[in-house]
Amino acid sequence: MGSLINYIIRRVLFMIPVFIGVTLFTFLIGNAAGNPINLIRLAFKGTLPQNVYLQLVAYYHIGENPLIRYLYYLWDLIHFDLGLSITSQRPVASEIGPWVWTTLYLQLSALALALLIGIPIAIYSARHQHSKSDTTITGIAIFGYSTPTFWLGIIFIYIFSFYLRVLPSSGAVSAITPWWGNWTLDRIAHLILPMTVLTYVQLATIIRLLRGNLLEVLKQDYILAAMASGLKERAVIYGHALRNAITPIITIIGLSLGASLAGAPGLETAFSWPGLGYEFTQAALALDIPTVLGITVIISVMVLVANLATDLVYGFLDPRVRVS
Amino acid sequence: MEDLLKVEDLRTYFFTEAGVVKAVDGISLDVRKGESHGLVGESGSGKSVTALSVMRIVPKPGKIVGGKISFDGTDLLTLKEDDMRRVRGSKIAMVFQDPISSLDPLYTVGKQLIEAIRANNETVSKEQARDMAISLLSNVEISEPERRFNQYPHELSGGMKQRIAIARALARTPTLLFADEPTTNLDVTIQAQVLNLMKDLKKNFNMTLVLITHDMGIIAEMTSRVTVVYAGQVSESAETHTLFYHPTHPYTEALLKAVPRLDKRKQLQSVGGNIPNLIDPPTGCRFHPRCPYAIQICKEKVPDYEEVETDHFVACHRWKELSLVGVQ
Ligand SMILES: Nc1ncnc2c1ncn2[C@@H]1O[C@H](COP(=O)(O)OP(=O)(O)O)[C@@H](O)[C@H]1O
Ligand SMILES: [Mg+2]
Repeated sequence: MGSLINYIIRRVLFMIPVFIGVTLFTFLIGNAAGNPINLIRLAFKGTLPQNVYLQLVAYYHIGENPLIRYLYYLWDLIHFDLGLSITSQRPVASEIGPWVWTTLYLQLSALALALLIGIPIAIYSARHQHSKSDTTITGIAIFGYSTPTFWLGIIFIYIFSFYLRVLPSSGAVSAITPWWGNWTLDRIAHLILPMTVLTYVQLATIIRLLRGNLLEVLKQDYILAAMASGLKERAVIYGHALRNAITPIITIIGLSLGASLAGAPGLETAFSWPGLGYEFTQAALALDIPTVLGITVIISVMVLVANLATDLVYGFLDPRVRVS
Repeated sequence: MEDLLKVEDLRTYFFTEAGVVKAVDGISLDVRKGESHGLVGESGSGKSVTALSVMRIVPKPGKIVGGKISFDGTDLLTLKEDDMRRVRGSKIAMVFQDPISSLDPLYTVGKQLIEAIRANNETVSKEQARDMAISLLSNVEISEPERRFNQYPHELSGGMKQRIAIARALARTPTLLFADEPTTNLDVTIQAQVLNLMKDLKKNFNMTLVLITHDMGIIAEMTSRVTVVYAGQVSESAETHTLFYHPTHPYTEALLKAVPRLDKRKQLQSVGGNIPNLIDPPTGCRFHPRCPYAIQICKEKVPDYEEVETDHFVACHRWKELSLVGVQ
């Protein structure tokens, strides 16, 4: 237990320099894109009053060296102050809140569903290696693995929304009360298409990797030894084989969640899903630099947290990684 | 003495993409109650697969395709899987060759022992199982059993892991123990300790032992009877003493020549050539391509398994005319 706590502390401390690196990089890129005041001025079409202008100069610490300005930005950041959105003139932090939730709710439900379906399929496939069903499963998985989400999204929208007209093609919820009058059903109907696309792609990753690891693990003597001690086959498969096969994949699932968050602009834009990715595209088109910066920082932080969670789960599952 | 385990004409094949690997192709084995029976042969000759077949845990794509296995009067091959599971661990147990991979790296020693103790046996409470696990650890002469109980396999030495694997096999005091090359992957000094431990445990737990090895030295040290297998078939079977002094199969003679001897400063000879491909094995006697005494009939006809004398059997066309050299 002591080693587990030690490991957690090490992982958390390790996040600090990574966090600083990521936010500094984002901040410098964002600044290279343009001076926020000029952009605000553009938005006001030259009618920006002088006193507001001076306030903005002080607010953004214009004229200071970029590193000093980064420190101010960081200071604000840890107080959840991400500046003002240029398009809505509201604090970026309060705008982003609901978007984070909308993105997470899509991403996490897809991941959970992919694990729920993927684990039994991978087990079945590994235990029936080279059978017809195994070959079919592997083929479908390879297809999903090599397909970009936004492309699959467009195909799905074409089939289910335009051709079959059974599911909504965009947004997370209807603008007006749907004819069946039930908002929960309405949300689910909107979730189905983007979630299916995302689940399919993650499912493909999970099945491909888990099947491969299971085939390796099932050859190990500890599996035979567990069978030889009289355990039920189910107990051996779920207690020993699955746990050993999935542990190294935890890292990859964590990374793929990160990649999936980073790839959210493509998928969310295809479905006009009002999450971080979609809003990122909107803000970038409107040259709303504080919002773009804010979203980038939040996505980076989410990726960091996903990685930390991954490391912790891994450390919890595998005693060998705790020692270092 | 009566037979505890009787294997007759066992056939276990692996249906691989490259072809059907006839890993065990007609092995017969009589193990008597209370004895230490050696199963010897070069690596790849089907010893492990024989043990796995008796326990009915042959991994895919392997399958038992023929033969009969009776244990203590029960026909194991016709048992339902649920009933067979109750035999595993409680009547027949097995220790594997590689202690590094035979313990699950993700669970503590204690968890794995308790799991074995409570398999099909939920009437034992967790606390009782814990006490039993600790006493098993003392049985296999592990110091500080309380501390080891909470350790993970990667924190232990190879010798200690093998002792723990042995403890797990003994968890429900089986009648028959298969020890599959239990010391092959250990240092020489540790090997001797583990073999001595196995001798003591066999006596204390009143077990019958089938010791699998490719090392004739260990056979001499540990067993009273022995079955020699070559390429998935039995070539000779006898009391250990008889086999060493009066071998009747050329393969046995070759194995004996390959034993390093401390008392003779003779060059160590290995058995010349390689074990044959088991997908497409040689015709006739499978040993004929490597046999210095092979004649035409050996290539053409499979030899019968004949009785040389009481308790001594051989599968060789020429056993009557050859006078082979055993240990002198
Ligand atoms: N899982 C498997 N798939 C295919 N062939 C196997 C498998 N396990 C064992 N075999 C084959 O069975 C033969 C006998 O193996 P084994 O019983 O392990 O030999 P031994 O224990 O005598 O060294 C070998 O030729 C090996 O290639
Ligand atoms: Mg073997």
